Amino acid sequence: MSVIEKARGQGDTVVRPKLNQHPSNVTLKLIMAATGTIFVLFVFVHMVGNLKLFLGAEDYNAYAAFLRTFLFPFLPYEGLLWVMRLALGVSLILHVWAGLTIHARGRKARGKFSRKGMKKKAWFAKYMVVEGVLLFVFIIVHLLDLTIGRGVASSEFEEATYEMVGNQMVVHAHAYENLVASFSRPWMAAFYTLLMVVVALHIGQGGWNAINDFGGTGPRLRKIWLIAFLLIALIIMVCNGALPMLVLFGVIS
Amino acid sequence: MKVTLDIWRQDGPDAEGYFETHVMEDVEPELSLLEMLDQLNDEIVEAGGEPIVFESDCREGVCGCCGFLVNGKPHGPLANTPACRQHLRSFPEVTHFTIEPFRSAAFPVIRDLAIDRAALDELVEAAGHVNVMTGTAPDADTVPQDHLTAEQAMDYAICIGCGACVAACPNGAAMLFAGAKLAHLAKMPQGKQERSRRARKMVSMLDENFGPCSLYGECAVSCPAGISLTAIATVNKERWRSVLRGRHSRET
Ligand code: SF4
Ligand code: FES
Repeated sequence: MSVIEKARGQGDTVVRPKLNQHPSNVTLKLIMAATGTIFVLFVFVHMVGNLKLFLGAEDYNAYAAFLRTFLFPFLPYEGLLWVMRLALGVSLILHVWAGLTIHARGRKARGKFSRKGMKKKAWFAKYMVVEGVLLFVFIIVHLLDLTIGRGVASSEFEEATYEMVGNQMVVHAHAYENLVASFSRPWMAAFYTLLMVVVALHIGQGGWNAINDFGGTGPRLRKIWLIAFLLIALIIMVCNGALPMLVLFGVIS
Repeated sequence: MKVTLDIWRQDGPDAEGYFETHVMEDVEPELSLLEMLDQLNDEIVEAGGEPIVFESDCREGVCGCCGFLVNGKPHGPLANTPACRQHLRSFPEVTHFTIEPFRSAAFPVIRDLAIDRAALDELVEAAGHVNVMTGTAPDADTVPQDHLTAEQAMDYAICIGCGACVAACPNGAAMLFAGAKLAHLAKMPQGKQERSRRARKMVSMLDENFGPCSLYGECAVSCPAGISLTAIATVNKERWRSVLRGRHSRET
C-alpha cells in the first residue's frame, strides 16, 4: 500500500445502467391511448344503451334482442356482440400489458428513491394503476353477473335464447329482469356505483394522457379534448352510477 | 432564523449514503439555498470537517448547474425556480430542510449532492443539435422566420439542462427535456432539415436512458425554465410524424 491511501469513496467510477427498453415507451403509450379511447367510446355507447332502462322492460329487452339479431342473416345470432367482444378483448389485453410494462419500467428508471412531495394533482396519475386493477376486477364481475350468469350472478339469472320462426329470428331476452335482480342486492348495487367513480377518474386522467400520447400540441385542441373527456367521464359516472341505486331503491323495478 | 438541515452525505459513487443533521442557529432570510449551504460549509470547515459537495456556477438561473431535492421537491419549495434563486425569505414557514441529490437511476451520485447528468448529454449528442454547413454567415433576411415562430422556438430553447424534470418524475422520464429540444429545433430553419431523423434518434436514446411518461405533470412544476407540458406531446408528435414521413423521405 502506498503512503497516500485512497480517500474514502474517491476514484470510484460512476456507473449508469442502460435500460434499453423495447418496444419503445412512445409505442406503448400510443397503444394505451388508442385502446383506451376505444374503451371510452364503448363505455359511452353502453351507457346510452343502459338509459333505455327508463323506457321499461319491453323496450330494454327489445334493445338486447336487437343487439343479438343485428344484420341477421348476414351476421349470425350474437354476431355483432362477438365482434365487439373480440375487439374489446384484444384491446384489453394490449392495454393491460402496456400499462403494467410502463409501470414496471417507471419504477426501474426511478431507482430506489421514490418521489416525495408531489402536488395533489399528481394523485390522478399515481392511482391509474390501482384504478386499472379495480376496473379489471369490475369487468370480470360484470361479465359473470350479467353476461355469463355464473358465480356472482343473482339466482334468478336467465340467459337469452332464440328460436327461428320461419325466416325470422325471435330472441327472448331477459336483460331487464336480470339487471333488476342483480341490483336488488345492496352490496352489488353499491359495488357498481362505486366502480363508476373509478371509471370516471380513469377516463378523466386517461383522456389527458391520450391527447399527449397522440401528440396533440395545439393549445385549443388540448383544451377541447380534455374538457370533452372530463364531460364524458362525468356523464358516465352520473348516469351509470345512478342506475343501480334507482333499482335498489325501487324507482326502477 | 434558525434552520435544521438533514443533508445527504455520500463519499463516492459506490459508498453508502446517509443523512447528516446540522442545526444553523443564525441564518439570514436573505440567503438563497446555495448561500445557506455555503455558510454551512464554512462552519463545517472551521470545525475541521469535510464540506458538503454541491454544484453551482452562475447563481442567477441560467447555467443549470445547481439543483438538489429539498423536502422531496427538485430545486426547492418554490415552483419553476432554480435552487440558486430560492431565498429563505420566500418560504419562512419552512425551517426544516431535507436535502438530497436529484434522485433517478439515470443520475448516479458522484459525491454528496453532486450527480452525473451525462445521460442528458447523451440525448443532446444523439439528437439535440443541428448538423449544418454554416459557411459564411447568411444575410439576416435570407432565411425568413416569422416573429411568432421565433418566439415559440425560444420558449423551448430556454431549457437550462438542469435535470430537475427527471428528478421530479416518479418514473425517471426525461420527456420534458427531450420535448424542449425537439420543439425548439423543429421550429428553426436550420433544425427543420433533420426533423424526422432527430425524432427517431431522440426517442431511441430516451428508451436507453430514461423511463416512460405517465403524465404526472410534476416536471413542468419543477422546471426552472417554465417549459410547458406540451413538450411531452411534442416528443410523441415528432416521433409519429417521422413514421408517417417514412424512413427515406428527403427531409430525413
Ligand atoms: S426542461 Fe426544465 S427541468 Fe428539464 S432540464 Fe430543462 S430547464 Fe431543467
Ligand atoms: S447556479 Fe446556475 S442555474 Fe443555479
